[in-house]
Amino acid sequence: MKRLYDLRFVIGLFFVVIGVLLLGYVLLSGSAEGMSINKWGGILFLSFGIFMVALSLKKPVE
Amino acid sequence: MNLQLNGIDYLIIAVYFLFVVGIGFLLKKRIKTGNDFLMSNRSIPLWITSLAFISANLGAQEVLGMAANGAKYGLYTAHFYWLGAALAMIFLGVFMMPFYYGSKARSVPEYLKLRFDEKTRTFNALTFAVMTVFSSGVSLYALAILMQTILGWDFSLSVWTAAGVVLIYTFLGGLTSAVYNEVLQFFLIVLGIAPLVFIGLDKAGGVEGIIQNVENAKLHLWKGMDHASHNPMGVDAFSLVFGLGFVLAFGYWCTDFLVVQRAMISRNLNAAQRTPLIAAIPKIIMPAIVILPGIVLLALQNQFPGFELPKNDAGEVNYNMTLPLLLSKIYPNGILGVGITALIASFMSGMAGNVTAFNTVWTYDIYQSHIKRNASEKHYLYVGKATTVAGILISIATAYLAKGFNSIMDLLQLVFSFVNAPLFATFFLGMFWKRTTGHGAFWGLLAGTGAAALMHGLTVAEGKGGWITNIHEFYSGTSQAFNIAAVAFIVCFIATVGISLVTKPRPDDQLVGLVYSLTPKQKDKAKIWYKNPLWLGVIVLVATLILNIIFY
Repeated sequence: MKRLYDLRFVIGLFFVVIGVLLLGYVLLSGSAEGMSINKWGGILFLSFGIFMVALSLKKPVE
Repeated sequence: MNLQLNGIDYLIIAVYFLFVVGIGFLLKKRIKTGNDFLMSNRSIPLWITSLAFISANLGAQEVLGMAANGAKYGLYTAHFYWLGAALAMIFLGVFMMPFYYGSKARSVPEYLKLRFDEKTRTFNALTFAVMTVFSSGVSLYALAILMQTILGWDFSLSVWTAAGVVLIYTFLGGLTSAVYNEVLQFFLIVLGIAPLVFIGLDKAGGVEGIIQNVENAKLHLWKGMDHASHNPMGVDAFSLVFGLGFVLAFGYWCTDFLVVQRAMISRNLNAAQRTPLIAAIPKIIMPAIVILPGIVLLALQNQFPGFELPKNDAGEVNYNMTLPLLLSKIYPNGILGVGITALIASFMSGMAGNVTAFNTVWTYDIYQSHIKRNASEKHYLYVGKATTVAGILISIATAYLAKGFNSIMDLLQLVFSFVNAPLFATFFLGMFWKRTTGHGAFWGLLAGTGAAALMHGLTVAEGKGGWITNIHEFYSGTSQAFNIAAVAFIVCFIATVGISLVTKPRPDDQLVGLVYSLTPKQKDKAKIWYKNPLWLGVIVLVATLILNIIFY
């Protein structure tokens, strides 16, 4: 619960959710048009989200 | 243009709303006093204040407006960043923040009270409060109109949903909640639009494709600045450097409480000084996100059908549709939801920034100063919360007013620009010339505002102005705005100096911490470079200079 007050964690969580939603949509839609953009977009958001969550696990920044 | 959203897009928008409201609920427990609600108890970490500093400005005007200007004026638009914002942010961090933060003022108008007198503060507080709440309403109106145009959403639904969400998170968590959400919105806007720029640039043929398909006159910063008729912006170098680079940019970034407030809630003076300087680093990269889409669109228009911008009712090209058009042509459903959410976030960020600045100024500079002086912190917390609700309701009313009487909103924004134009002269003289008096500041401000109005009444640009008579016609509205600001600044400066010289100044001992020459200098020399505001300022300055040379 305490981690929820760390903004890095909240931002990371948000982008993880968005990334997972986009990648899940790609999986469900198969090879429909434009899915490549969603796939790479999903990977970008998920990676950024994980990075922010990982940052929040370290010591607090100034 | 009509975008078709589907389930995944709506789900992404819903997740965003859930998170911003959730942040408000989380922070609710930490809000116990008026100071917590309105000033975040001056406890916000540096990286958050820095990103909030630029995010408070990253509203719809920035995201949609700069893309529009990118298509209209090309790379010249980058002057708003590489000439205007960067230098002003350096000046704020290095020279002005010690007085704002060191004086313990809770707001910019309160600094005016400490430095000058009550009437100067009240004039600034009242005009600022009215401006912010109307700006918030204009933001809401623009959001609803955009959503109606591109998504077919009902006007009232957009207004009440966006206003409702902003109300919930600002009411519950106050300034901290607004600032936290601004940082989330910053990342969402940057990451939501960056793929659009990347894919658009790739489709346009990369940098080579841009060079081959966009007229050369729109790919420079300084070329053709010898005369207003030689560049697409229609301005000459003097009006650009003095009007935009000095008066307007310094006036906005150094005196507008909406942005300065983000630095004033830092944990200490060093962090407050570094806030605008660290913010300047992403700020000078921001043209890649907000201006480049407009230039990319120009290249795409030359190579592919379907990239033509729609026209408005007057038959003129509607440049404001630049970003929505690119979203509709490049993004498929899924990431389209992220792009639309980024647009919504930009409107909400602008609105929340205005509302939180409004409630601080109203509570401290108007209510506490003129209505109830020595009440408890709890009392000011209730007043701050009530002001938040009132601010949102006035914003909603303004949005409906704008819908019915668009010309009234244009007039209001014009009047606000007259009030803003001379403001930097007052602060500049106040901080750096100890002889400046309260009477000089107050009447100088009024004279500068009057001069701005008079200049607008005597000149014409793009069919606007000249309501007294027409003695000069500018090449563009932008040029007219820069020149009006320059005249307002000069008149305010001269009037303030003149009146100050014939009125009695305050004794030196009352001005310690408020005026440069009477304030002990800080000893930053022992600190490592990234903690030293001066070094950070030099780094930003050099980076900006390099960008100006590269894109000459």
